[in-house]
Amino acid sequence: MHIPDGFLAANTWVPAWVISVGGLGYCIKRASEALKDKMVPLMGVMAAFIFAAQMLNFPVAAGTSGHLLGGVLAAVLLGPYAGAVVIAVVLAVQCLVFQDGGLTALGANILNMSFIGTMGGYIIYSLIRKAIGDNKGILMGAAIAAWVSVVLASSACAIELAVSGTSPLKIALPAMVLVHMLIGIGEAIISVLILSFVLKTRPDLIYNKEV
Amino acid sequence: MHHSYIDKYAELDSVIHKADSRLKIIISFVFILFIVSANPTAYLSFVLYGLILLILLAVSRIPFLFIFKKTLVVIPFVVLIAVFIPFMKGQDGIILFRGIVLRSYLSILCMTLLISSTKFTRLLKGLEQLKIPKIFIMIMSFMYRYLFLLVDETQRMQRAKESRSFGKAGRFRIIRTLSNIIGVLFVRSYERAERVYLAMCSRGFNGRIRTME
Repeated sequence: MHIPDGFLAANTWVPAWVISVGGLGYCIKRASEALKDKMVPLMGVMAAFIFAAQMLNFPVAAGTSGHLLGGVLAAVLLGPYAGAVVIAVVLAVQCLVFQDGGLTALGANILNMSFIGTMGGYIIYSLIRKAIGDNKGILMGAAIAAWVSVVLASSACAIELAVSGTSPLKIALPAMVLVHMLIGIGEAIISVLILSFVLKTRPDLIYNKEV
Repeated sequence: MHHSYIDKYAELDSVIHKADSRLKIIISFVFILFIVSANPTAYLSFVLYGLILLILLAVSRIPFLFIFKKTLVVIPFVVLIAVFIPFMKGQDGIILFRGIVLRSYLSILCMTLLISSTKFTRLLKGLEQLKIPKIFIMIMSFMYRYLFLLVDETQRMQRAKESRSFGKAGRFRIIRTLSNIIGVLFVRSYERAERVYLAMCSRGFNGRIRTME
């Protein structure tokens, strides 16, 4: 759900940019404290990975297809801060090179998908992981977090559009949430399948630090 | 493999291609600011902005059809918003909708013109000179460097999958196979990142990129 330019009014996209720049600065600081000079190569290659993974089309129903969004996946594999940075870089490149999402709307897109989607998703994931524990906790946590984060990010998008006066909240919010409750199921299934593969082959690559 | 679609016409030789990338970035940004803050009923200004963009496009000699195809990415979102129009109060809905569609289309046209006339590396250099944080620029240039490799790798795995799984396969099996492809891709990418980092360390990398300029 990449918002293009022109859909958000200045009363929405300017604050969203301010929040995103501040949040991103904090995330980069926290991530580079942990990764040190490995930060740049790792984040760059991981952003390319998310981008390539989003290119694969999964069959859904009646000839339609969807793709991975990868916010929670990035957070589970790389941690909340590095995950948010990676998703933000992917969004920035998609905006600059592919016009997927607008320049003025980039702040809002980063807010929805990097912070609400990825970091918010990570909080849910780590709570469930702690409660259940073990590999089952990782998979259950990722599944629920992936579903919730997609729904939350889409509600944030609907709210931003309503604040801009582009669409009425009373209709747009339930409609967006309803559609993304379905999309979220797909995201949860794919995320779990990918993570169970990683758990079988390189379980050491799952991010392990306690929050 | 063909990835030239990323900056396909950025190698052309026109006044716009030769212009300083800093200048182009600033002008594009200011222009988009004007476009998105235009009143939805100000049709005359939309015509004016569109005309300016068309003239620049003609000067840049980038084929119109290519630009037109690239700008179609806006359609899904426009459709999504259009669904809500009937619920807006009275006549305002249609006018607002028309204004929003025009604004987003013109902005996309402007961004497409920028990226099609500027190589990505030049664009990053320009952004860096405009004081966008260095770490962000470095991550983006690494991403650009490895994007082609990983997209290639994905397509190779997909081709391998297709050549093995013909006929009917259950939907869940396809989803499972594709997820495994992404899993393999992640492990390979991570290991590649580690190799890249070690190679950089062995050449004396200490967190700063040094260039001759």
